Amino acid sequence: MKIGVYVCRAGGEADDGVNYESVVHYAANLPQVEVVRSMGVMPKLDPEALADEIAAEGLERIVIGGDSPGFFKPAFTRAMALAGREPDEVRLASFRAYGVGGDPATDRAKAIVACAVYGVPFTLAAQPKDTKWNAAALVIGGGIAGIQAALEIADGGKRVYLVERTGTIGGHMAMFDKTFPTLDCAACILTPKMVAVGQHEMIDLLTYSEVESVTGVPGAYKATILRHARRVDEAACVACGVCSDVCPVRVPSEFDAGIAERKAIYIPFPQAVPNAYLVDEASCTYVQTNGQKCGACRKKCPKGCIDLDGHGDVMQVEVGSVIVATGYETLDAARLDRYGYGVHPNVLTALEFERLTNASGPTGGRIVTKTLKHNKRKKVDEWVFDRDGAPPKSVAIIHCVGSRDSNYNAYCSRVCCMYSLKFAHLVREKLPEAECYEFYIDMRAFGKGYEAFFERIAEEGTVIVRGRSASVTEHDGQMYVKGEDILSDSVLEFPVDMVLLAVGLVPAERSDELAAMLGVPRDADGWFTEADYNGDPTGTQRGGVYVAGVCQGPKDIPDTVAQASAVAAKVLEGAITGRGLQSLGSLTLTDIEARAKSLVSVS
Amino acid sequence: MAIRANPKLIEELEPYGAEDVMKCYHCGNCSAVCPFSADPYVFPRKPMRYLQMGLEDKLKGQLDPWLCYYCGECSDQCPREAEPGETMMSLRRWLTSKYDWTGISRLFYRSWRWELGAIVLVAILTAIGFTLFGMSQGSIAHYDGPDAFLPSASIHIFDWVLAGVLLTFLLSNAARMWWFTMGRDKDLPTTLGSYITSAWMLPAHFFTQVRYSKCEHKRSWATHLALMLSYVTMLVLIMFFLTRMASGPEIDWSVHVAGYFATAGLLLGTALFLRNRVKRSSAQYRHSHESDWIFLVLILIVATTGILQHILHRSGLDVAANVAYIVHLSLVVPMLALEVPFSKWSHLAYRPLAMYLAQVRATALARARSGEATALRPGAERTQAHAA
Ligand SMILES: Cc1cc2nc3c(=O)[nH]c(=O)nc-3n(C[C@H](O)[C@H](O)[C@H](O)COP(=O)(O)OP(=O)(O)OC[C@H]3O[C@@H](n4cnc5c(N)ncnc54)[C@H](O)[C@@H]3O)c2cc1C
Ligand code: SF4
Ligand code: SF4
Ligand code: SF4
Ligand code: SF4
Repeated sequence: MKIGVYVCRAGGEADDGVNYESVVHYAANLPQVEVVRSMGVMPKLDPEALADEIAAEGLERIVIGGDSPGFFKPAFTRAMALAGREPDEVRLASFRAYGVGGDPATDRAKAIVACAVYGVPFTLAAQPKDTKWNAAALVIGGGIAGIQAALEIADGGKRVYLVERTGTIGGHMAMFDKTFPTLDCAACILTPKMVAVGQHEMIDLLTYSEVESVTGVPGAYKATILRHARRVDEAACVACGVCSDVCPVRVPSEFDAGIAERKAIYIPFPQAVPNAYLVDEASCTYVQTNGQKCGACRKKCPKGCIDLDGHGDVMQVEVGSVIVATGYETLDAARLDRYGYGVHPNVLTALEFERLTNASGPTGGRIVTKTLKHNKRKKVDEWVFDRDGAPPKSVAIIHCVGSRDSNYNAYCSRVCCMYSLKFAHLVREKLPEAECYEFYIDMRAFGKGYEAFFERIAEEGTVIVRGRSASVTEHDGQMYVKGEDILSDSVLEFPVDMVLLAVGLVPAERSDELAAMLGVPRDADGWFTEADYNGDPTGTQRGGVYVAGVCQGPKDIPDTVAQASAVAAKVLEGAITGRGLQSLGSLTLTDIEARAKSLVSVS
Repeated sequence: MAIRANPKLIEELEPYGAEDVMKCYHCGNCSAVCPFSADPYVFPRKPMRYLQMGLEDKLKGQLDPWLCYYCGECSDQCPREAEPGETMMSLRRWLTSKYDWTGISRLFYRSWRWELGAIVLVAILTAIGFTLFGMSQGSIAHYDGPDAFLPSASIHIFDWVLAGVLLTFLLSNAARMWWFTMGRDKDLPTTLGSYITSAWMLPAHFFTQVRYSKCEHKRSWATHLALMLSYVTMLVLIMFFLTRMASGPEIDWSVHVAGYFATAGLLLGTALFLRNRVKRSSAQYRHSHESDWIFLVLILIVATTGILQHILHRSGLDVAANVAYIVHLSLVVPMLALEVPFSKWSHLAYRPLAMYLAQVRATALARARSGEATALRPGAERTQAHAA
């Protein structure tokens, strides 16, 4: 049989890591291949010219290789028909469908082309060897995604090591008061799950820890986990808070998004799991002075569980699967200087507002503007939140801050439209007298019940202005938001007392290091790349490594939980059968070639 | 009345320089940051929208593009790289070609080959004409005096004829501009009174370009003003004082002082703009249409040949001076006869005219609106009350 191989690319810039030239050379040396053509990016194909070539060379089978060869199939099918050949003999060698990307990409692409040339389905030839599968799983990140996945795997009876960077699990969801669109109390959903994780006999909860390295093969990974020095005995601490009361150090609280302070010995929030205090070595006077000063907390602790000289620890675990659930961070609003974040005191980020409106926040959930107060320690006047501050008379919410913007993040962050509507509801509910303006470009209310939620907020009296506002300015102590209302073609300046910035989502800090460690690629925006967008949204390039939650791409809580559950099912599948489906990527080119040949000779 | 959409409008705009209009997703950022966008002329987003929808007729009646000075602010802040500033610039080119009834402008803007070809042709014809004229009545060895090759009195008459031709085209095109933007709109309650009371704006804007100074980058405004004033000074000198300029050999300082300043302004202004365009120093210089280059290079050459003939004449090298003069004139003629009515230069007339008409129109609109109830959304009303 005479075969022609045509390599056509659909994605020009998209870096799939394939060395196309090398694939073309490889294809030229495959048996029966008469013609190999490298057609470049998005070639304009002329079926008649192709038909001439097919006829001239006597080709009987066409293999189209490339990232998405399906694009080009119609032209070749027609060419085959025009040349009087069997149109069904157009075979696709799709690199994308088999998750090419990452290190062995070129070899994988070659294997895919080889299988198409031999006429053997790639999945059949690349059938992985059975490996013995370790049933235990490592979960990295203790947000709602990590919690959900950990609980389901543990409930299935398998061991889980849950590694969380901060002192508590819960992630961002723990900071919220209500969740859209149901306006359920976030804590009511999350807290029981957190407690369950803390108490589960099959979950080893490793907070204040990070994964340092992962080695091994799918089904048998070895992970080294660095446990930072907590300096408080997690098991003994009863969270009485005496230590914190005497601690003289005050620093911004991460959990309160910086709008309130915590001590150097602290618990992120009262319902934290594990429910134990920890010492922040970066701000603790004792640690910073090498034990020369302070140490006040240690003297007061009724349990004697504070070890200010404690040090970190390194531990090793063996697992079969790894789940990445590292979530996100929000974009630094100060980068968009036109909104004056950091300049005008009452311009707040979304997370700051979540804490402000939260009953457990610094104002007990009252929405107030900042008050100028004298800080005696620093001897400066500071704008701070105070329970008795003046409530804002009008609040503006600006959508798409740093999202869908080629100067920052080109993508849509997907949750900010809805959380902005949630904010509008909270403002109008708590301050019925206040005006609330929402400035948006497109209202992305795509989920179940979301459109109804949008309509409800509009009916509640929030003024929803179509047009993202351009700037926040201040004259004579009054802030103004300026923007075009594109539905009335007018540029308006709204006087407001508080501005909420719907900042977009960006991958968690140091995701790049984690990706390199695990051998899992990330996309151009920094999100972890799934194995296949449609067919395998939880798997990755690397066998036994899965992604769940926002680390794979912006999504809301319901989608996060669904993805986490899906991952748990995958992990349990490997654990139950005792042999996981090894990643296709772990087979070598020679293996696949040999197998493909043997399959051809059989048929 | 039904509005007819032209689905090919965006494609038609492409040769005029608008390339990224489709990228716009109407966030309204540009209209809010533009220092000139204010009720009732809110732009550049609205023209972007009209373009996307193919509303050719509406666009033809818009004054908005002329109210933009291309400060580049909108393009810098556009989240989609839709280049709204460049779109406004292309719309000005497109409008110029729509105002022009001869079709020459359209030809020039769509093909630089035509523009350049026409300039070269007119230049050659002029050169031949003046050479024959000179030889028929004077001697190339004399620059001035009774036997002058190109006596200033004759050139003066020629200048006035040229001005007449130029004005005919420009004024008829300006009249069409008025018709498209004001005249044909029967519902617009303009009054003769408002045309008269706003008339001061025409010279005011022409000579000061105060609006331009509202841009954040004051340098562009200053350079532009200097270039324009130098150009106008030169024009006045040539139209009214040519005989005194050309007489020699001693220098008539009363006119030459102005002449020297204007020349310096022309050289410096064009050099600065050329540098910005070559370096693409900021948003407004990132994209250069061929007509922009032709415009600047032509002024530069005209200015230098002007200086050259002046120096040669004053140094007593009459033959060389006459040759330089011929070259100079053969470029001045296409510059005045082609560039002013049909290409980039025409904005000299259209922009101040647009500002004047915009004022008249705004007055009329305000009158129309005060009659009927304002159709603003409740929210906007509330905020305006708030602001009050
Ligand atoms: C202001 C705001 C309001 C929102 N409101 C809603 C809402 O009302 N309803 C809704 O459905 N969605 C809402 N969302 C979206 C919601 O926050 C996310 O869908 C959800 O939190 C995603 O959970 P996650 O576990 O993937 O990520 P996260 O909550 O970010 O959790 C990730 C966890 O991983 C940890 N981590 C990160 N890197 C590492 C590492 N290298 N090693 C160990 N641990 C690591 C982090 O410390 C964190 O605890 C909102 C988002 C924002 C910004
Ligand atoms: S005083 Fe001791 S027991 Fe109490 S919270 Fe602090 S560390 Fe825990
Ligand atoms: S979800 Fe809404 S606010 Fe957020 S980026 Fe997308 S469109 Fe903008
Ligand atoms: S800023 Fe850009 S995207 Fe937004 S309306 Fe203007 S041109 Fe369109
Ligand atoms: S370039 Fe400047 S003047 Fe022109 S529309 Fe944009 S912001 Fe306005």
